[in-house]
Amino acid sequence: MISIQQLLFEYPASSFRMQIPSLQIRSGEHTAIAGPSGSGKTTLLNLLAGILVPHSGSVSVASTTVSALSSSQRRLFRLQQIGQVFQDFQLLDYLTVLDNVLLPCRIHPSVRLTSQLHSRALQLLTQVGLANTAARSITRLSQGERQRVALCRALLLSPQLILADEPTGNLDSATAQRMIQLLISETNRSGATLIMVTHDSSLLPRFERVIPFDSFLQPEEVS
Amino acid sequence: MKQSFHLASRYLIWNRGQSLTVVLSLAIMIWIPLTVRLALHQFEQEIAARGQSTPLVIGARGSRTDLALHALYFETPPAQTVPFAEVDRLNRSGLGTAIPLHLRFRTQPNAAGESAPLVGTAPEYYEFRSLQPARGSLPALLGDCVLGAAFAQRSGLTVGDHLLSAPRNALNLAGDYPLRMNICGVLQESGSADDHAVFVDVRTAWVIEGIGHGHQTVNRETDPALLLEADESQPVTASAAVLPWLEITDENRDSFHFHGDLDEFPLTAVIASPAGEKQRVLMLGRYADPDHSLHCIRPPLVIRELLTVVFRMEQLIRFASAAAGVVTLLLLGLVLRLSLKLRREELQTLFRLGCSRTTILGLQAAEVTLLAVPAIVTALTAAALTSDVASQQLRTLLF
Repeated sequence: MISIQQLLFEYPASSFRMQIPSLQIRSGEHTAIAGPSGSGKTTLLNLLAGILVPHSGSVSVASTTVSALSSSQRRLFRLQQIGQVFQDFQLLDYLTVLDNVLLPCRIHPSVRLTSQLHSRALQLLTQVGLANTAARSITRLSQGERQRVALCRALLLSPQLILADEPTGNLDSATAQRMIQLLISETNRSGATLIMVTHDSSLLPRFERVIPFDSFLQPEEVS
Repeated sequence: MKQSFHLASRYLIWNRGQSLTVVLSLAIMIWIPLTVRLALHQFEQEIAARGQSTPLVIGARGSRTDLALHALYFETPPAQTVPFAEVDRLNRSGLGTAIPLHLRFRTQPNAAGESAPLVGTAPEYYEFRSLQPARGSLPALLGDCVLGAAFAQRSGLTVGDHLLSAPRNALNLAGDYPLRMNICGVLQESGSADDHAVFVDVRTAWVIEGIGHGHQTVNRETDPALLLEADESQPVTASAAVLPWLEITDENRDSFHFHGDLDEFPLTAVIASPAGEKQRVLMLGRYADPDHSLHCIRPPLVIRELLTVVFRMEQLIRFASAAAGVVTLLLLGLVLRLSLKLRREELQTLFRLGCSRTTILGLQAAEVTLLAVPAIVTALTAAALTSDVASQQLRTLLF
């Protein structure tokens, strides 16, 4: 269960202000967050991941109150519990495609890179149609291909919560549907919760719940 | 840690140009002072050992340093000579052993351009320096020579080959002629100046100098054109048409003879090994008179004076190396800082994924290690390969 209570967040030196009185998302639920640019969708994902900390209120994921954790505890929490797909992919140029997918286990303090994890990374790449690019430099991939690599990286350690920020933004509709199918099937298999930010209304029917961010929260209204 | 090294190595390979530059800069920063230190240490040890093993040297009055370097390293001979009688006098005095040194010639450069100082001495020299032949034997006959190990290797000459002496002045027809010498042995390596020299008996050196010679038989029965005076009441006087032998062979060896008084034959230095401390003091006393044409020097003292120059040079080099090292480190620090600025986005990605500060520090430590280890290995290898040459260059530079 994800729970947000009386959340207030502001960026320093900005008029942006986010206030969420209450938001609950059940474990294993597939939730889409839709809304116009600048409405704070990405900010919400960052607050859930513990990348940002609210000024007041609480953010809890399962039994952990993320907002109460220290900086190092939040980092460990992210690594152990969350798979993230960033809007700008955030892949490392100097690593190969496979090394980028395996990055979470290379920086994880307790996960060892086993042959099973290696096989899983290759399997995920096969599922997104990039098996033959595993040894290639990430810089030689198109934007759409990079987005798929970022998706594989998020799914590698089968996290309990997947936060995806417009993961199909650079994909054609057929590939986007395939990616959503992969996300849904992977989360179904592991019982993970999926929260995805999207602008693509054609994808919304695939989700159990859609939160229209602008109706839920108008930054202008609360400022 | 293994994962940190994997990621660090990927980063360094991706930025291979910059990585190589950093490795080379670090390597050079370590290599130069290390090589200088090693070379100086090697040089100090070698020169001090050579000096210690040569108690006293007697030579014509002049520069003490020049005489020491001449007797120890076969450098340029003093302008004045020592009469051979001095060796005889010292040996008969019972104060110790005197070993003659005659060094005024070099061997002729061979096809490879290799040439060596030609040292005329007595059999006692080999015993004094503990020199043993690795191949062949020590020179026992007039015209024989034995090669130092390094010169033999450089020149490619061996036992049974021949070697020519180089005349001091090729245009002086009345002067010394090149003598073709028989190589009778090659000495074992000693790690000293002896490795780079060619040794002959002192009498052979005098033959090269023109004091002794051999030539065809000249009497009233031979070609009259070779005689200036053929009067039966007078001894025969040969003309300049009589050519000296340019090689000493078994057939002509007996014809070789010396003109003049043996006691007056020139030496360039005499190595003296006193029988004891008292004899050493007595020997020094013999030559203490400033009016004496010869003086007796103590090479260990002269070498110690020389080494103070080396120490001063070392301090200068250390200071220069330290300054260069500080500049290099500052530049590397700047490069590292700029690199971290450029990599801020990458660090943000790692933090966003949940990477701990410890892991980030581990990654940076792995990168530094992967740069430092090859730099140190390169520097050590280069220092090991170049310190010998540097030591030799240092000797050339100083002497």
